[in-house]
Amino acid sequence: MGGGRVRTLFGYVEESCLLTRAHPVVKVLSLVALNVLAWLIEAPVPLAIYLSGLLLAAALARAPLRRLKGYLPYLLLVAQAVVLSYALGSRIPGAVVYATLPWGCYVSDRTLLYMASVMLRISCMLVGSTLVFLSLRDTDVVYGLRGLGVPFSAAFSLNLALRFSALFLDDYARVRDAMLLKGVRLDAGGPLERARLLSRAAVPLMVIAIRRMQDLSFALELKGFPPRGRRTYVHEFRWSWADTAAAAALVATTVGVAVAKLLSPLLSFPGWPFA
Amino acid sequence: MVSARNVAVTAVTAGLCLPLALFAIVLVPIPGLPAASGFWIPAGFYFVMTLWFGLWGALGGHIATFLAMGYFQGFTLQVWADGAVGDLIAPLVALAVFKLMGARPDLRSKRDKLAWLIGVPLASLVCGLWVHTVNLLFGVITWPFWWVGVLTYFIGDSLAVFAVGTPLLRSLTSYVKQSPMYIWRD
Repeated sequence: MGGGRVRTLFGYVEESCLLTRAHPVVKVLSLVALNVLAWLIEAPVPLAIYLSGLLLAAALARAPLRRLKGYLPYLLLVAQAVVLSYALGSRIPGAVVYATLPWGCYVSDRTLLYMASVMLRISCMLVGSTLVFLSLRDTDVVYGLRGLGVPFSAAFSLNLALRFSALFLDDYARVRDAMLLKGVRLDAGGPLERARLLSRAAVPLMVIAIRRMQDLSFALELKGFPPRGRRTYVHEFRWSWADTAAAAALVATTVGVAVAKLLSPLLSFPGWPFA
Repeated sequence: MVSARNVAVTAVTAGLCLPLALFAIVLVPIPGLPAASGFWIPAGFYFVMTLWFGLWGALGGHIATFLAMGYFQGFTLQVWADGAVGDLIAPLVALAVFKLMGARPDLRSKRDKLAWLIGVPLASLVCGLWVHTVNLLFGVITWPFWWVGVLTYFIGDSLAVFAVGTPLLRSLTSYVKQSPMYIWRD
């Protein structure tokens, strides 16, 4: 931490961002709730309202919304898959049919509406999750999961995996350099050929991994892992009234939306299931 | 009770597979299927780790896939249910085939080779069915595109596991047998 900025999993974020100050449990709970909500809602208008609400809440919490730009190419890729799949392979009845295909599929006004719903749902998940990850520090992963009752070993493994990936990137660079020095041209050929060459690095990488695994297991055993008795923690995260309010709002909204979907057709896609 | 060895297997497998998954997505992308790769290199590693060290290796693959796909596709429920759970199931199916056939991962006997030849395509098929059924349930693809996805997944995953996993099992199983984490005892 320094210069009024906090280091999170996605880079440095202003300390003034309210999300970074939330309790780790609230951050992990938000990640689950925001995704489940987007999954429950099917109708386009409620999804559009939900997306607008997420963006508004992020702006009010001073979250760095400009970071979302990095995911725009992904959204275009998904849009391409969705459009291709629904334009060429769906039969969704509607008031107007724009095109009928020789294999019996057709594009109606409802097809376009359904495409928009799918894109909105994915955008909601993406915006919600990215905003939470922008505020998540590596310590939050362990403390947040522990706070939700996940065993320490599982939370610790996830955190170790994140740290080890950086180490293996260095190992891979070393193996690749050795291959280049021996005359291998890793940039030659098409994508499959390049992937095949990359897979040649498998054996040395695996040997490094197995040695590291042995070292890690000895180090963990020497440090008394798995912990017996009551464990103490370096950081203390204070649970504030704002955290209580946020957690209650997340749980209440998720349960409310699930019940509303069962009782009313407002949150379901019009005409679903299609005849 | 989770031991230090279990944590070490999961963490190292995940750490090893995460950068490889990122490379696979960048090097061999599939147009129309975001964050997917036609040659899923990490599968070769976590299949082998699972055959050597059991469930904890598969769990490492699961974590790596979620983190790598999430980097490109967002850390969403769909990405977790889709790719990550699929990649947890696949190596466990291969392990179950080895257990049921009484085979060993060093691929020395005919039975071992047969288990590998049956286990890998079967695991890839089960995983492909899972992944594209989840895609269908989330509305990303339609029924007519479902089988195309399953078929491309089946071929791409099987090829990667055979290409990367076979030399690893044949050349390194004797070395790994010395490890106390190796699950097969003769």
